[in-house]
Amino acid sequence: MSSPTPAIQIENLVYAYGRAEAVRDLNLTVQPGRCFGLFGRNGAGKTTTMKCLLNLLRPQHGQVRVFGLDPARHEVEVKRRLAYVPDQVAFYPWMSVRETLDYLASFRTYWNRKTEQELLERFRLDPLQLTRNLSKGQRTQVALIAAICPETDLLVLDEPTSGLDPIVRREFIETVIGAYQEGNPGNRTIFVSTHLITEFEGLIDEFAILDHGRAVAILESDQARDRYKKIRARFAQSPPQLDLKGALQVRREGRELELIANGAGPELVECLRQHNPETLTTESLTLEEIFVATLKS
Amino acid sequence: MVFQLNFKSGMPIYLQLVDQIKAAAASGALRPGEALPSIRPLAEELRVNRNTVAKAYSELESLGVIETLQGRGCFLKENHSALRKEVRRKLLIEEIDQAIVQAHHLQVPRQEFLVLIQERLEALDDKRRVNEGQKGD
Repeated sequence: MSSPTPAIQIENLVYAYGRAEAVRDLNLTVQPGRCFGLFGRNGAGKTTTMKCLLNLLRPQHGQVRVFGLDPARHEVEVKRRLAYVPDQVAFYPWMSVRETLDYLASFRTYWNRKTEQELLERFRLDPLQLTRNLSKGQRTQVALIAAICPETDLLVLDEPTSGLDPIVRREFIETVIGAYQEGNPGNRTIFVSTHLITEFEGLIDEFAILDHGRAVAILESDQARDRYKKIRARFAQSPPQLDLKGALQVRREGRELELIANGAGPELVECLRQHNPETLTTESLTLEEIFVATLKS
Repeated sequence: MVFQLNFKSGMPIYLQLVDQIKAAAASGALRPGEALPSIRPLAEELRVNRNTVAKAYSELESLGVIETLQGRGCFLKENHSALRKEVRRKLLIEEIDQAIVQAHHLQVPRQEFLVLIQERLEALDDKRRVNEGQKGD
């Protein structure tokens, strides 16, 4: 059985701005139909990576492939199959929302007018409004409509909801799930970078944590939440000295002990249990907590 | 039906949905023949991947708990206990074992644990009676 061509394949990608290396030897693969999250601190290389996919930057070493194609050599074909919402949305200020959408639609071979109308209504956007008079949230909404209507197989979102109010952020994510994914659920691929990890938690199948241009972890969300545990124990006296090498972090607070574990959860729980704690609880880390734990340890 | 997802439980999201629908069926909150929410609005409301909800529904379908009627959606099956008896017992034993381990960690003595189980059975019976009472009105 041959596996399908990955939606995105990045191999040994290197990109530097002058002497500042933004991406160093990045490798990752996104299968079609998946939602892949790219997490990292500011300057970790997320936007640079996305720009290489869009042929806004050319890799200096390594290669990127979108549906098996090189974005530099097959720019039109690659752009036909993806849509992009950047963190800073810019339109021609003299165009209305209507003119902007018509203009963007003119570059596309397909444009779903019905979806466009539904989303304009959902976002309560006035088609006659000039884009220079739109709020930041409304500009992002217009960009999202323009990204969804062509019904591409890949949606690239770069910090799409940063700086937006909570209602607009919610609507944005609901629209990605509803209007975008619904069309052809098995094949609609999402590649999203965000700092608002909690809001995207339910959407993300798999994620990479970038640090200084490298992927320090690539994990499936469900598996990650199974592996990363926060274990809390309270003892009658101050906690005994234990061998807790398997723990990522150890925090002692009076009679209490809090451990962060990556994979070694069951062994650590067993170790603590042998010292008869008064209470012993385990919970999974959320993706945001995993992100913080990974970069702090 | 109102779902409550918990990302800290360590249980895959689709399995949380599966369990909650099974629990709703067991408690009478969802009755045979009643419709489940459609995939798209439920995914939007919970803000989870559409494929996660679809996976939960297809799991429930293969377990024989729900059925999909073409063009009409998913419904709780009239006879949803299609799981063979030993399979059902095995599923239950796993859950009971987990509760026993948890009771041990929380230092709940055996006798108190057994009393608690009795209490929970009675509480669920009450809940089922209330649900049936409301639907009868």
